[in-house]
Amino acid sequence: MKNHVMKNHLKINLLLSLLFTYTLPAIAENHEHEHHHQNKQDSVIFAPSSDSVFNITDQWVSADGKPFQLGHLSGKPTVVAMIYTSCQYVCPLTVQNIKRIERALPANQVDKVNFAIFSFDSERDTPAKLAEFAKKHSITSPSWVLAQGHASAVRKLAVTLGIKYKKVQSGDYEHDATISILDSHGIIKYQSDAMNKNIDGATGALKTLLH
Amino acid sequence: MRVDDMVLVPKGSFTPFFLKKVDTNNSSVPATSPATSVDAFWLDATPVTNRKFLAFVNKHPEWHQSNIKKIFTDSHYLEHWKNAQGSADSADLDKPVVNVSWFAAAAYCEAQDKRLPSTDEWEYTLTDNDRDTDNLQKQIMAWYSVPNKALPVVGSKPANGFGILDMAGLIWEWTEDFNSYMAPPDSRNSGDKTLFCGSGSLNASNLGDYAAFMRYSYRESLRGNFTGKNLGFRCAKDTK
Repeated sequence: MKNHVMKNHLKINLLLSLLFTYTLPAIAENHEHEHHHQNKQDSVIFAPSSDSVFNITDQWVSADGKPFQLGHLSGKPTVVAMIYTSCQYVCPLTVQNIKRIERALPANQVDKVNFAIFSFDSERDTPAKLAEFAKKHSITSPSWVLAQGHASAVRKLAVTLGIKYKKVQSGDYEHDATISILDSHGIIKYQSDAMNKNIDGATGALKTLLH
Repeated sequence: MRVDDMVLVPKGSFTPFFLKKVDTNNSSVPATSPATSVDAFWLDATPVTNRKFLAFVNKHPEWHQSNIKKIFTDSHYLEHWKNAQGSADSADLDKPVVNVSWFAAAAYCEAQDKRLPSTDEWEYTLTDNDRDTDNLQKQIMAWYSVPNKALPVVGSKPANGFGILDMAGLIWEWTEDFNSYMAPPDSRNSGDKTLFCGSGSLNASNLGDYAAFMRYSYRESLRGNFTGKNLGFRCAKDTK
């Protein structure tokens, strides 16, 4: 499947999200962060901040067959992408580029980042298929999660990440190839074209979040 | 068939405007266009009204203006509900609800055990099996050129052949897969952007195609958190 990545779109989105981040009322932000800390210490499920993707509570199933929610990514920055396993070219390349981002991290920080891959293909990508895909791409680290969910969960996540896609008659998907980076609270901090060989922007964004 | 304000739209097919290809050797003769099939589905006869959306918000306070999460909307959510109670004016109750994001629209439909219609379902319903195409296109173009100053109540105009009202001339409507692609795959693969970028090279040779181009472009420009003072929705449901 060929992809159609609207680079200008991404730039604008990024700009908007930066503007948004920096114009948030400081008091509200601080207030919300305070709550996070307090609740975490108590090991209570906390309410995500208002602009967090963790507000999406759809149920997914991971490659090991366990239930999964976006909120499980809380606490660490996360590199997110959407793929489908029968995709021949773009999706394997997306995964390869994410692995390059992983390799570019300092050794002592590799386990401080989540890598989350969500499938477009609700029908064909069973957890077993995802496990097979992970094996094929030598994904063994516990920092990675591959997940599949209902078509409505896929649509909601794609809309949230600003990813366009369409199922075509063959059962394949036309889709944007986008890498998104979330901070530990689930706020989208960075997006780039997954086909871009230059990963400096993504690693830079991650390193900033890890400081 | 009509049950609880929903109408059963029978299965059929239509040709999305972007699949209508013009023969490059003879631009006056359109090449044969593949039709898109649509299964039977239930569709709300009219767009969702302020009255119905208010009932939803009262039952699901997380979608109230003061509670909605920032990730699900821009800052204009339910902007027209700015009276003291933060709810719709009584005079507006039967007007279509607008200023709602895709997330809020989808949540409303889910709460009714429904879903948003797909773009194909919506476009198929609009085409009305080509029953009165000329009149429909005139109506659409008239509205595109001069949108409503004030929204009328839903159901003010006659139903189309399916028994569905207000498909044209009232509001823009969210679809479930608005974040889909509009351009045909082959034009993307070849890097041919003439459909969107070349002035006058749009493969649309009549008013109906132009109107469809406007709709697909509009959807293409949306993000899930956007709201608009002429943007509302209606819900659909599978027949199974």
